Amino acid sequence: MSKIFHLSIIIATLFIIPTISLAFAAETAGEYIDRKAEIWNLFFRMMTVAFVVGGVIAGTMVWQVWRFRESNPNSKPTEYEEKGEF
Amino acid sequence: MVLELARPRPIWQIMFSTHHTDVGLLYLVFSLLAMFVGGAMAIALRIELFAPGIQLIEDSMTYNRLFTAHGTTMIFLFLLPSAAAVGNYLVPIMVRYKDMAYPKLNAIAFWMIPPAAALVWLGMADFGWYANPPYSVISAPAPAAEMWIFGLKVLGVSSILSSINFVVTILKCKHPDLSLGKVPLLAWSFLTSSIIVLAAMPTFAAALLMLLTDRLGVSGFFNPAMGGDPIAYSHLFWFTFHPEVYVLVIPAIGMMYEIIPRFSRRPIFSHSSGVAAFIILALVSFASWAHHMFATGMSFTEKTVFMVGTLAAVPASAMHVFNFLATMWNGRIKFATPMMFAVGGIALFFAAGAGGVVNTAMPLDFITHDSYWVVGHFHLFVFGTIAFGTIGFVYYLFPYITGRMYNEKWGVVHFILAFVGACITFFTQHILGLFGMPRRIYDYPEIDSWISMNALISVGAMIILVGMVIFLGNMIYSMAKGKPANLEDPFGLGGKYYYPFAQRNPQHGEGGY
Repeated sequence: MSKIFHLSIIIATLFIIPTISLAFAAETAGEYIDRKAEIWNLFFRMMTVAFVVGGVIAGTMVWQVWRFRESNPNSKPTEYEEKGEF
Repeated sequence: MVLELARPRPIWQIMFSTHHTDVGLLYLVFSLLAMFVGGAMAIALRIELFAPGIQLIEDSMTYNRLFTAHGTTMIFLFLLPSAAAVGNYLVPIMVRYKDMAYPKLNAIAFWMIPPAAALVWLGMADFGWYANPPYSVISAPAPAAEMWIFGLKVLGVSSILSSINFVVTILKCKHPDLSLGKVPLLAWSFLTSSIIVLAAMPTFAAALLMLLTDRLGVSGFFNPAMGGDPIAYSHLFWFTFHPEVYVLVIPAIGMMYEIIPRFSRRPIFSHSSGVAAFIILALVSFASWAHHMFATGMSFTEKTVFMVGTLAAVPASAMHVFNFLATMWNGRIKFATPMMFAVGGIALFFAAGAGGVVNTAMPLDFITHDSYWVVGHFHLFVFGTIAFGTIGFVYYLFPYITGRMYNEKWGVVHFILAFVGACITFFTQHILGLFGMPRRIYDYPEIDSWISMNALISVGAMIILVGMVIFLGNMIYSMAKGKPANLEDPFGLGGKYYYPFAQRNPQHGEGGY
């Protein structure tokens, strides 16, 4: 439970707080130029996270496709096939 | 329905039939026709944008007319009717009822679509599929704009009639022994998407009426010169059409829920989480429309509400993706064409969702707003996810409709070309947007990065085109010359199917299908 709490704190610090401050900046003319650099910074950080998560999911999917394909030598009938329950 | 080629009927019997499989066939044929019409328009647009300067289309007005007709065709005449086709075929069977609840209304809902398509295609309005005021009120040429407005009105009524039919069929006509908890997820997807249509569509109907009266000069709802507010139209439009995104994507996910367990030879991992995710998506679809308008000067509070509302769709979408992955785990997966399109669709769905998170994060939206990033994002959704799910399901239904098998090798070639073409086209559009290219433009300056990326996007579109031509050829050839299908188990999977051919069509006479 405490891990989840700590993870939530980290996510909030990394993304939510900068997002809110930058959104305010978009309405404040004087801070526009500096904040634009920060927005791109946030963009690249979010993209890094998105690509890591996406890579894990896509990698899992590719591995599944490879491992559980019908033609894989290790493939065996599922427990549901005999009963026809799927 | 099945074996039409073995036991042919006069075409008017199908056209004037109210049986759900016949209406489903009409929906399917029309939607595929619209897909090729809309696709041809897309190719014309991509040829024009292949390089700076005039390539194919002589003037910007013609370009604008084409991209308006392309968007309208793909969304209203291909994706919505193709979903209705699948629903017509399978929903009554899944709820164990003899037909749709209101068969005549069902046929009427379909027959409203061709006249509406004629209005859209003959009019060729030029204001984009948004019909954004004040241009659409003040300057858009008549009668094209009026024809588009009337066409969309008719399509909206058709959607509402169709949705009423699905809701009543599922909730009131399902077999008494079949609890809602056991209704298959494909039928659930039609229930939730139909409820969204019923809640969302009247708003757009009102907006269209206001747009029409504005054009006639009797009102000024969206006309700044008469004290109106064009942004009000955007709110009304997106109140309908952000949920409409889910109206399109939810049935496509439902189709994947039918294909993936079947071809993995395992039951769905969690039926209840699929139902919960559908309901959550339906609810949050109404909490996110204004993220399309972050750049219009909304207050911080409004933006925050809609950012959070949009992000609420992420967990529900992830529930579907994890449900699919968990179903495939420990399966014995047969990668026939329908399964390839389903798995490819999941991969692109995930990628499209990641891009959507960027759009909805307030400060990042200012980077991507009105750029080619957005074009790439929604095309990845509508083609990479929704069309992939739909096309995969067309392959899945093919033996049931025609009694013959399609050519599997050409199906695989089609999938590879569609997947590679989609990645090249739509991922590059994202990057092009980050390089600053705005959307909805007819020509662009000679910037090296823009030129190379536009050329690459056009090549990707051509790859998709080749795949679609193969798809068409495969369907036509296999209908006439394909191997007869084993209708009990056309894909050699075992298990229990929902058999469209088992639904007795009275017009097939004695002896059934």
